[in-house]
Amino acid sequence: MKHRICLLLAALAVAACGPNSPPAPAAAAPAPAADRYDVAKMDFKSPPAKISSERHKGAFADGKSLSMTAELKPLDPAPVKEVRLDTTHKIIEIAPGVKFSAWTFGDQVPGPAIRARVGDKIRFSMTNRSDEAVPGVQLTAAPMMHSMDFHAAMVSPQDKYRSVAPGQTIEFEFTLNYPGVFMYHCGTPMILEHIASGMYGALIVEPREGYPTKADREYIVIQSEFYAKPDPTKRKVDGAPLYVLDSERLRAAQPTHTVFNGAHNGMVRQPLAAKAGERVRLFVLNVGPSKTSSFHVVGTIFDRVWMEGNPDNQMRGMQTVLLGSSNSAIVEMMIPEDGSYIMVDHHFANASQGAIGLISTAAKPAAKDLEHHNMAATRTPTEVEAVKGKADFESKCLACHSIGGGKKLGPDLAGVTKRRSDDWLTRWMKAPDKMLETDADAKAMLKEYNNIPMPNQNLTDAEVRQYLKYFRWADAQPAGTAGAAAAH
Amino acid sequence: MRAAPRIRRLLAALLLALPAQAALACGHCVEDKVAAVYDHAVATSAFARKHQVAFFALDGKLAGTPEERRVIEQAARSAHGVDAGSVRASSEFAAVSVSFDPARVSYAALERSLERKLLRRGLRLLPLRVMDQPAVLRTAERR
Repeated sequence: MKHRICLLLAALAVAACGPNSPPAPAAAAPAPAADRYDVAKMDFKSPPAKISSERHKGAFADGKSLSMTAELKPLDPAPVKEVRLDTTHKIIEIAPGVKFSAWTFGDQVPGPAIRARVGDKIRFSMTNRSDEAVPGVQLTAAPMMHSMDFHAAMVSPQDKYRSVAPGQTIEFEFTLNYPGVFMYHCGTPMILEHIASGMYGALIVEPREGYPTKADREYIVIQSEFYAKPDPTKRKVDGAPLYVLDSERLRAAQPTHTVFNGAHNGMVRQPLAAKAGERVRLFVLNVGPSKTSSFHVVGTIFDRVWMEGNPDNQMRGMQTVLLGSSNSAIVEMMIPEDGSYIMVDHHFANASQGAIGLISTAAKPAAKDLEHHNMAATRTPTEVEAVKGKADFESKCLACHSIGGGKKLGPDLAGVTKRRSDDWLTRWMKAPDKMLETDADAKAMLKEYNNIPMPNQNLTDAEVRQYLKYFRWADAQPAGTAGAAAAH
Repeated sequence: MRAAPRIRRLLAALLLALPAQAALACGHCVEDKVAAVYDHAVATSAFARKHQVAFFALDGKLAGTPEERRVIEQAARSAHGVDAGSVRASSEFAAVSVSFDPARVSYAALERSLERKLLRRGLRLLPLRVMDQPAVLRTAERR
C-alpha cells in the first residue's frame, strides 16, 4: 500500500512537470522589447503658430516630401519636412462634362500626399490664396477663410488649426509620433462644405524602422464624395454647365459622385501600373465626408492589411477593408497574372457613382475588361431634375434595375420611355401595388420577373418627375452610352 | 454621505455644461466664429472706402435656425453706424459681423448700439476681431 502511494505521488509529480505546467523560470529573463509607443519618448513640444499678412506668391504646393499624383515618391530622408500647401479656389472636372467649383490645398484635389516617418518634424506653411486668380477658368467661389487640420499631429487645435483670412499665412510645426495614413483637411466652418469642396489629402507616416515588407509599387488611393448641382445662375464653363456644391444633398449625405483621387472613374482612364508577380502596396484613405468605403480589389486578396496604416494593426488574407470617414489602411497584394485588377467600393451604389479604378499590367487596358464588369464611365445629364433623377436612380434602384446592362431582379430600363407612356410610368412609380391589382401589363411583368413585386417607394410627385426626366434623357443618348448598372 | 451634495452640485454643473459644449463643437475658436461670418465682398468693399469690419460673438440662448439668423441680422442692421448690406450673422456659430465707417461712428459707439439692439433679443455681444485692411485681423478691445 505504501509503495502504491509512493508511485501515485511520483506519477502526480511527473504530470505536474508535463507540457501543461508553467515553464521553470529562466536563468536570465530576456530584456523587455522597447515600447515604440512610450509617450515619454514622444515629442509634444510645438512652438506657437505664427500668423502673418505676408502673402506667399510662389508655387501653391512645395516640399520634397510631396507626391502630386497617385504614384508615391520614396521617403525623403530629411528629418525636417518643409511643407507648403496654399489654398486656392478653382474649377476641376470631377466627371466627364462635370466642371465643379472646388476649394483646394496645393491647387489640386485631393491635395498632395505628404510622406514622412515617425520622429520627423513637419514644418508647415499655408497662405490663404482663395482670393487669387488661378490658371484656368475664373468662375470660382468667393474667397473665404480656411485652415488646416492634420490628423497626424498632436497639437492644440485652438493654436495650430486657426482659420486664416484671404492673404494671411499661417505657419506651425509638429513632430510625428505615430505611424499611419492620416487625413488632413480644412477645419473651418462649415467643415462639411470645405471637405466636400475638395479640401483634403493624406499624410503618410512610416514606422521609424520602415515597413516590414518590400513592395514593388506604391500608390495612394483617396475615396471621397462630391455633392454637385448645376449652378442655379446657369453659369457655363467652356460651354458646359458649371456645377456647384449642393448643400441640401450634402446635409442629407446623398452624394452625386463618389470617386477615387478626385475623379469619377479617373483611375479607369489612367490605371495604376503593375506587373504580374509584383507586390503592390496601396495607401487607402476614405475622407468621406459622410460615407463608408468597403474597399475591394477584384481578382486578388489583400495579403496584408495594416489598419490606419500602422503595421502593428495587421490582418492577413482579407477580401475587403471597411473604412469609415477619415479611416485608412495600407493594403498589400500580389498581382498573380497579367490583367486589370479592379479597385471598387464594394458598396456598389458608391462604385456606380465613380468609385472605381484599375491596377493594370497592360499599358492601356482592353475595353472588354470594363464591359465585363459593366462599369464603364457613364455620361451625365445636365438638366437639374434629370441630374437628381440619375442620382436617386443610382443610389436606390441599381440593386434591381440597370439601364442597358440587362435584366436583373427587375427589367432593364433602357428604352422604357419608348415602351410605356408617361402616364403609365407615373402611376407605376407612385403606386405599383395598386397597379398590380388592376393593370394587365403590370400583372404580366410580375409573372415575368418571378413574382417579385416592385415595392412601393412612397415617391413624391417631384421624385417621380425627376426619374422620368432621367429616363427620357437616357433614352435620348446614343445606344449604350448612358448605361447605369452595377453588377459583378 | 457628506460628499453627496457636492457630487450633486458637480453633476448639475456637468449637465449644464454639456449642451454648451455640444453647441460649441467645431466652432469654438475665435477664428471659426470669424470665418462663419466673414464675407470677402463685404471686407473688400469696406476697405475700398476706408471702412472697417467688426466681428462679434453672441452670448445667449440660440437655436441655430435660419429664422433666428434673419432676426439677428435685422436687429444688427438697425444699429447706428452699420453700413447698409454689410451684416452677416451665424446663429449656428453664434457670431455676427458688420462693416462701419470709423470716421462717422467709433468702434465703442458701434458696439454699444449693436448691443442695445441685440439685448432685446436676449443676446450679449463679445468683441472678437476688427479688420481695417486685407489679411490683418486685430484683436478687438471691449469698450
